[in-house]
Amino acid sequence: MAISVKVMRRPEAGRTSYMRATLKGMSLTFKHLLRVKKVTLEYPEDQPDLHPRWRGTHRMEVHADGRPKCVACGLCPTVCPANCIRLVGGEDDQGNRYPIVYEIDEFRCIFCGMCQEVCPVEAIHVGQHFENAEYSRNRFVYDLDRLMEQDHPTTLLWDPSDPRSE
Amino acid sequence: MADSSRRADTVTLTIDGHEVNVPKGTSLLHAAETLGIEVPHYCYHPGLSAPAQCRICLVEVEGAPKLQPSCVTMAQDGQVVHTESPSAKRMRQGVLEFYLVNHPLDCPICDMSGECKLQDYVFDEGREQGRAREPKRVFGRDDFGGDVLYYGDRCVMCTRCVRFMDEVAHDARLTVVERGDRAVIDTFFESGLDDASFAGNVVDICPVGALVSKDFLHKARAWDLDHTPSICPNCSQGCNIDLHARDNLVQRLKPRENQEVNGHWMCDYGRANYEWINRAGRIESPGVGRSGKRRAADWQTALGALLDRLRESEGAGVRIVGSPLASNEALGTLHRLGRAVGTVTESVFRCRRTEDEDPLPGFPLLVRRRDLAPNVDGAGILGFERAGSDDATGGLGAAASHDGILVVLGDQLGDQPEDFGADASLYVYLGTFDSPAARNADFVLPVTTFAEEDGTFVNAQGRVQRFEQGLQAPGSARPAWLVLGALLAALEGGNPPGSAADAFAALAAEYAAFAGLSHDAIGTAGAVPEPAHA
Repeated sequence: MAISVKVMRRPEAGRTSYMRATLKGMSLTFKHLLRVKKVTLEYPEDQPDLHPRWRGTHRMEVHADGRPKCVACGLCPTVCPANCIRLVGGEDDQGNRYPIVYEIDEFRCIFCGMCQEVCPVEAIHVGQHFENAEYSRNRFVYDLDRLMEQDHPTTLLWDPSDPRSE
Repeated sequence: MADSSRRADTVTLTIDGHEVNVPKGTSLLHAAETLGIEVPHYCYHPGLSAPAQCRICLVEVEGAPKLQPSCVTMAQDGQVVHTESPSAKRMRQGVLEFYLVNHPLDCPICDMSGECKLQDYVFDEGREQGRAREPKRVFGRDDFGGDVLYYGDRCVMCTRCVRFMDEVAHDARLTVVERGDRAVIDTFFESGLDDASFAGNVVDICPVGALVSKDFLHKARAWDLDHTPSICPNCSQGCNIDLHARDNLVQRLKPRENQEVNGHWMCDYGRANYEWINRAGRIESPGVGRSGKRRAADWQTALGALLDRLRESEGAGVRIVGSPLASNEALGTLHRLGRAVGTVTESVFRCRRTEDEDPLPGFPLLVRRRDLAPNVDGAGILGFERAGSDDATGGLGAAASHDGILVVLGDQLGDQPEDFGADASLYVYLGTFDSPAARNADFVLPVTTFAEEDGTFVNAQGRVQRFEQGLQAPGSARPAWLVLGALLAALEGGNPPGSAADAFAALAAEYAAFAGLSHDAIGTAGAVPEPAHA
């Protein structure tokens, strides 16, 4: 079978005007200049809206008197698939069970949110937060004080008005 | 089956459609257990009497007018029993709902969580939602003294603890006070369970988290613990125990059932003394050369050098200081090595002893013995003699100034002077901790504790019992039988033992007291040698 060859005819120099194509292109450009629809987010001046289920670095809820809500039940280190939670339980001077050591290695964490899901006292939460830069790696192991200091909003893993919907 | 049912001493009955043949006088609960059917129960415990008061083991027996408590109903010929019939299940669900009326459901902070029978049964069969609207009654917690703490809110009033103190300890210190939903377990006197030497068992038999150990309180979750069958190292009774370990640390000791030794129980002394197993600061690598010139070496270098020295001094007098904390495998291999090198002129061990024994009246086999070490009898069988006083000091005068080969295994020589073994032509110290008296040792070899190796002990009844490795050894510490067995094989030819079972097989071939025994034959329950040793 013979090969068919299509010969493209190039515009001949000096005999073709590019004016129409130029105007067409420029009209699009000027249209965008006038139509103010910004796609670029001017971070960090503008902060993004995070989805309610965004799962970021952790936060420990505290009681009104400043104690952590955690009762050191040991469910989060048990359920954690990345094994990034270290917990040592103990008893405080009022006879309450509390975490003597509570550490989360945020580098190991895979942000699945199962620690929040399993927590029986709604103490540990994943948060709507993503700005985690630090000057050293060991700052990424969040201890209990650090987790209690965090003030970013916590993640809503389910609709609070319908807790069984999950 | 028809034949056996005619025998006078057994009965045949049907449970959940399975026919089973059991001895006469077996309870329905036990008969179901032989079929692998667990009937829920709280008040019943195999080591105690059965008051049939928890009402959760009720089963349907065809022909009976109402449900029967399976823990006290004896199996009869031709009985047809249903443990899973709708009426039995409905009844169990009802009983569980009543148990939860006042139960605080504080599983997240309860130490029993994960091994709690109430948790298990409610999870299996309980209602999803409780219907009680009334506020729960609250007792708080009560310190019973000793190692025992009582949370009245969690109690299901099975009275196992009351019956244990009464029937087994013969020291009725607990009782039920008040009635109805105000009923709690309480002690009679201010002293509570202080100085009761077997009270720790009430924590084990409590099916819920009402009685908990102060020592273990909040320390670890039940599901985090690795269980290893072992032998209590704290006296020569050799109670069968489980080591419960987490993060390579022993967290608690729990008795393991063995009706020939300790039943379901163990003493508080044994239970409380486990911290020494976790002690840090161990010798982690072999050391070669006397103090000042000692340097760390790897095993190959250390054993190679030691072997040269042993060959040089062949025929010398050998004195051995062993330890009743060491396994038969370690002590036996050590003695064999001593005889292979020269003439064993003395082999001794020192053991801490108390003034008197401490028996458990309701289970006479179980006695906290005078010797506070697990393998005194094994050391005796293997040719070691007791030396020193009852606080494990002194008695090593001849060894201290011995001029031949001196080998110390497991004894820390805490009371010995720094010039111990200064005159010895070769001084080998195998131990877990360095000691001032090991200054003159030519070789310091790190060995494992009983928790870090497999092996056997011989208890005061002459019973050979096995224990298994529950912890990782620190650094390059190795079991003593492995180290000594390698040396022995190099001197005498043959293969070094690859396992504790191999090391024991070599002993069984040599010592009449162990004839016919092997690790497999000893199993988990232990074995008494036949004929019994003299």
